[in-house]
Amino acid sequence: MTAITLTVNGQSVNAQVTPRTHLADFLREHLLLTGTHIGCEHGICGACTVEINGEIARSCITYAVACDGAEVRTIEGFDDDDLMARLRQAFSEAHALQCGYCTPGMMIAARDLIRRKGGLTGAQIRTEMSGNLCRCTGYVGIVRAIERVMLARPTLSLPTASPRKPQLGPAPGPQPSGSTAAETKAQSATVRLKDASAGAKTGTTPRLSAGSAKKRRRIKVETGSVEASGGATRLTQAFVLEHPRVEVWRLMADAEAVARCIPGMHLDGPLVDGRAAGRMEIALGPIKASFAGEGLVVSFPNEFRQVITGAGGDRKSGSSASGEVAYRLREEVGPAGEDLTRVEVELSYSLTGPLAQFSRSNLVRDLVSRVGENFAQNLDARLSMPDGAEIAPARLGAASLMWRVAVDRIRAGVSKILGRPPS
Amino acid sequence: MASQVTGQGIGASLIRKEDDRFMRGRGGFVGDIRPAGTLDVAFLRSSFAHAKLRGIHIPSSIRSRVFIAEDLGGVMPIRADTALPGFKSSVQPILATGKVRHVGELVAMCVAPTRAEAEDIAAQIEVDYEELPAVHDMLAARDPGAALVHEHWSDNLYLTTEIDVNFEAAKAKAKASVRRELRTARQVMSPIEGRGLIAEWNNRLGQLIVTSSTQQSHIVRTGIAECLGLDEGKVRVIAPDVGGGFGYKGILLPEEVALSWGTRKLNRPLRWLEDRRENLTAGADCREHHYVLTAYADDEGRLLALDCVATVDAGAYSAYPFSACLEAGQIGSILPGLYDFGHYRCRTYSVATNKPPILPYRGVARTGVCFALEVTLDALARELKQEPSQLRFKSMVRPEQMPFDNIAKRHFDSGDYPEALRRCLAAVDLDAVRERQRRGERDGRLVGLGIAMYSEQAGHGTSVYASWGIPFVPGFEQCHARFTPDGGLELRVGSHSHGQGHETTLSQVAHELLGVPHEQIKLVHGDTAETPYSTGTWGSRCMIVAGGAVAEACDQLAIRVKRIGASLLQAKPEDVRLEAGEVVANSGRISVAEIARTWYRRPQELPVHVDPSGLEVTAGYKAKRDTGTFSYAAHAAVVAVDPATGEVEILDYVVVEDGGVLVNPMIVDGQIYGGAAQGIGTALYEEMAFDGRGQPLGSTLADYLLPGPTEVPDIRVFHMETPSPYTRFGQKGIGEGGAIAPPAAITNAVNDALKGLGCELLDLPVTPRRIVETVAKACREKSAR
Amino acid sequence: MKPVAFDYERPRTLAEAVRLLSTNADAKILAGGQTLGPMLNLRLVQPTLIIDITRIAELTRVEEDGEAVTLGACVTHASIEDQKIVDPSNGFLAEVAHGIAYRAVRTRGTIGGSLAHADPAADWLSCLMALGAEVLLTGARGKRRIGVADFMRGALDTELEPDEIMDGVRIPKLSKKARAGFAKICRKSGEFADAIGAVLHDPERGVLRLVAGATQGRPIIIDPATCPIDMNFPPPLGPVRKKLEQSGLAADVYELNIHMAAIARALDKAHAQ
Repeated sequence: MTAITLTVNGQSVNAQVTPRTHLADFLREHLLLTGTHIGCEHGICGACTVEINGEIARSCITYAVACDGAEVRTIEGFDDDDLMARLRQAFSEAHALQCGYCTPGMMIAARDLIRRKGGLTGAQIRTEMSGNLCRCTGYVGIVRAIERVMLARPTLSLPTASPRKPQLGPAPGPQPSGSTAAETKAQSATVRLKDASAGAKTGTTPRLSAGSAKKRRRIKVETGSVEASGGATRLTQAFVLEHPRVEVWRLMADAEAVARCIPGMHLDGPLVDGRAAGRMEIALGPIKASFAGEGLVVSFPNEFRQVITGAGGDRKSGSSASGEVAYRLREEVGPAGEDLTRVEVELSYSLTGPLAQFSRSNLVRDLVSRVGENFAQNLDARLSMPDGAEIAPARLGAASLMWRVAVDRIRAGVSKILGRPPS
Repeated sequence: MASQVTGQGIGASLIRKEDDRFMRGRGGFVGDIRPAGTLDVAFLRSSFAHAKLRGIHIPSSIRSRVFIAEDLGGVMPIRADTALPGFKSSVQPILATGKVRHVGELVAMCVAPTRAEAEDIAAQIEVDYEELPAVHDMLAARDPGAALVHEHWSDNLYLTTEIDVNFEAAKAKAKASVRRELRTARQVMSPIEGRGLIAEWNNRLGQLIVTSSTQQSHIVRTGIAECLGLDEGKVRVIAPDVGGGFGYKGILLPEEVALSWGTRKLNRPLRWLEDRRENLTAGADCREHHYVLTAYADDEGRLLALDCVATVDAGAYSAYPFSACLEAGQIGSILPGLYDFGHYRCRTYSVATNKPPILPYRGVARTGVCFALEVTLDALARELKQEPSQLRFKSMVRPEQMPFDNIAKRHFDSGDYPEALRRCLAAVDLDAVRERQRRGERDGRLVGLGIAMYSEQAGHGTSVYASWGIPFVPGFEQCHARFTPDGGLELRVGSHSHGQGHETTLSQVAHELLGVPHEQIKLVHGDTAETPYSTGTWGSRCMIVAGGAVAEACDQLAIRVKRIGASLLQAKPEDVRLEAGEVVANSGRISVAEIARTWYRRPQELPVHVDPSGLEVTAGYKAKRDTGTFSYAAHAAVVAVDPATGEVEILDYVVVEDGGVLVNPMIVDGQIYGGAAQGIGTALYEEMAFDGRGQPLGSTLADYLLPGPTEVPDIRVFHMETPSPYTRFGQKGIGEGGAIAPPAAITNAVNDALKGLGCELLDLPVTPRRIVETVAKACREKSAR
Repeated sequence: MKPVAFDYERPRTLAEAVRLLSTNADAKILAGGQTLGPMLNLRLVQPTLIIDITRIAELTRVEEDGEAVTLGACVTHASIEDQKIVDPSNGFLAEVAHGIAYRAVRTRGTIGGSLAHADPAADWLSCLMALGAEVLLTGARGKRRIGVADFMRGALDTELEPDEIMDGVRIPKLSKKARAGFAKICRKSGEFADAIGAVLHDPERGVLRLVAGATQGRPIIIDPATCPIDMNFPPPLGPVRKKLEQSGLAADVYELNIHMAAIARALDKAHAQ
């Protein structure tokens, strides 16, 4: 619990809150100001709009602790406001509300618009109000109501800006030392050191190029078309290594060595019958996942081909992933007659659970294709340094995704999700 | 009539009574209520579309706060069986039992002092799933050998229906035909307030009290009692202010049953408030249809026949109370639209898939049907090189044919369909748009005009719904009305308002008949303990059936008031009249309020033979015929399409609507605007895609796009007024209509714009990507020729 | 959904913030929270510690020298929109700021937060790449400065080390005659862009730069060094299209078209100035 002091609708409030409590929940559940509605909790619909230090803001993605020292005004705080009274009349006359759920946020946003701007066209009003969704009215009445009050704007006495010094950052911003409750706590807090093992495990953000990596030759990776079907995303990549095929195959046949070249991949132990338990760690921006499960490697030496499949679950998100990497080595001859190897990779992956349930899958594709590029660099580096000792375990963004770890929650240690038997 | 004096009865654009509390943040929505001691609920939901449940592992430290199916001894699953022959029944468990059949299905109920802590508990549960192939596409689901959603079924079909009215005979006569394959997307109805409820057991009353954001509290009460095996008298359901419904809240929820069970078990009030992620990932539950439609015409373009195969993705379970088959049932009966033709065949499939159970969304099947029919008619017009409106005029039911029984046995009550279209074309200025198209646009965009027409059956009763086989056939609606000792009037109805403004419109009906001032009329609704039984608010029925019941009750009160008034005025009952809240005789006048005071407080002054039933009545509404009213409209859209980027701008949108006699024109306009905005969403934006494993590809409103202010144009609405011969005031139901035609009108406009490029859009929504890819494909084919 | 439980610290100095960050493995920096907030609420991000940097006075600084204006990382979009800062761009930044999401987001969303998150659809990434801005990073091992174009590695991936905080953005001053344009194509107002075009033509400083943003990864930068165009304005679109095709957009006609359209519109806007 963190102690906070703030002003809500002109009243000073002292409270103890958990840091994860957002302002909307704080207003509704602690202060019983239920006029602030929750419509999405993703900052999109606008139902929770309130004023913080005189500027409108989303109370669902602003945490109550961050409002320590702030002045918050909710719909209940506008009862005696002249401009809001005008808007209430206009909203009612223009039938700008039906179920009334979006209405408090809509009116606070409308009032703020009229406070800041005058003389807008209907189209401009629509753009300015685009942060507030209404499912009932089709916005016709809302726009008319705002137009009506905006027309009268020159005759209104508009709310004056707050006398406080203008803020350039999110309110309430820097304040005199020790002025608020949480500040005091922050000052007295000592820097905490997490236990070392935890830090070692996830201490650095997995990323594409390991910080310690030596200068490497840059391998050009061609990425082919991407297609999604049957719940899986497939893409092809190809790159050329400046090593003869036998040499590359020797490395590739050592699945554990290959695994070390895959960013984010960790095997729990050696391969047994082509199988191993392990995990794939990925980071997509601040989103981190660790898919624990099992992988299977099947080699086709005559064809210089290998198929690696894997599936695992991420406990934290309740998501699972599964994937397959199939590659084939082809001989190629370089411009100076040297023996080269063209590696053709087919990747496929699919996700289930929360991490799958977004429309912007292209962000994941970017990660996966960069994992492929990183894999190529790592392979090349390892081939160039046969003992390979200094190559740190590869890390990267979305590596685990390509490994396609399937998602079921697997009971600790006992998974056997995957599986075609080796053919 | 009273309104002629006050101007505040039927026909007045009265300012809504509801508004003030909402505008001050003082509405009372379910999330605003928190009884002392309430615990919050978070559900652990399936992350798989289709999987066997091998085990659920709950750490012992949280076991007492987690409830799974095996804990719910004696609780019955939800069943919603239609009466139609051949229907396969589904059993919807309250908490997943043995198997999960869609992403978001309830697996465990977790209880804690706050929602955040309840989610912490849910995160500690491990479920061992064995994934099964997901049935994610309704057409593939019909194939032999498809994985089975319900493993004991022989296929994935809830029901197949077929209508054939002398179809084969049409083929010989037809000189032209077009065949189109069309598809509508799965949508999320997305009221801004999600679902939610509080369940608490009241020991004093011996009663379970469920406060739920529902459109149909009485049906929910019946359903909860059935599932828990409780006497219905031990269950009370209250609908508080409801933040939008549109059909999303017209269902008995497994969550309602689970919390109702849990509150008895824990002896604490339980609250569950659906969040947006749950809404989007577990609530994508409407609209997904597929059509193969062939229209046959003679050489002048008169429609001869329609032949349709329609498939509805009905999801994993048959939802209570409307079942998995209402949409398919409607398709066969409404596909003929406003047109008069002689031959017809329609086969429908209601298909089970691993998606959330389908619910009827505003417009129900009409939106899909209107899209399929009207887009195909435009294709026919292009084929015959006719103006699409002219093609329609040739086949439209004419006003002199009214009332008209169409080929699917719908009984159109009244109206002038061609006139609506004429007015619509005039308003949108067809000739000017055609001229503009000839001139072309400087910015390279292509302009198109599209029209679409529909009729909306509403307020229909027993015979119609019985023929659709739904498990909860509506009967007759009642109102309880009473005067209070101060002369105020209380109205009690079992339907509910979730934005339609019933507190205002039903007050207008009562004011019209009794003259009581609006501020003294109080509507009580949505509470099963306080109101007569009703199947609730859906199907654009309330202004007809609840309005009709209010009128009946007020009529009866008027008779009683007049008798007492006559006596007090020493006149004969037949010589008095009720006027502006007063009983008037030649000998004088006395206010209704004074009569009420006399009844309650000075009964000694009442006549000896007074009717002892007093100043309260319960009266019911029975339509003159129960085939319903048919409001109708012509919609026209003018769009500009950028063929390079696929952007569509709606330049003009016109609606000419005939809703009969309008009780409150302002509110009617609001329904049309709001419906049209949702229709624009269906047309251009809203789509919950599912991948091949049945995963919904969206969990925020950044993934699932709702139209905002910039996506909806300034819609222009014009009215016609043809009273329904079958309703009390000539009113018709209009709540859904706005949402029916926009997908058809806008798609027709886009196709009109693109006709020079030789391509058509036939899948909803018409997204920029679909447009660009369709144009690109047409260009490739053209250059290949 | 509600976030997982986390601890919360609100340091008053950058040094303190860096120290907290470098000693807590799963810490996340919170500024306006307009991107992190939704991710926390969805439990996609599950930090043990949130370090709120909005009380650090240094992060809302505005500094000006002969060549550039430096904005603290916590300066909000709304402050730029309302022109409360010293403007190096003849009004261009304010115009871009006005188009970001919605007003109630712009009042708390920050320029530094937007860049650090590195969502390819973010307006500032493409805009500031076109302007040739640099980000200023402070970490346990000191301070450094990187061009925005090099700072972003890919979707949601940047050069920020785990113990580093972005403390500011240095934006070069445009010449008086410079022309800048910005256009984006979105499915609906305020939502993620599907395509962004950003253009700067500043002949006095010898700069012509076009940026195609909101791709699946890093924005594509087009200038006379990487594309056969010269300093003439507006540049021909043919080589620009070719460059986009070569940069991975060839396979998807829709992506290619909307990115071309966004660039063409940005050029129109810049031309009109």
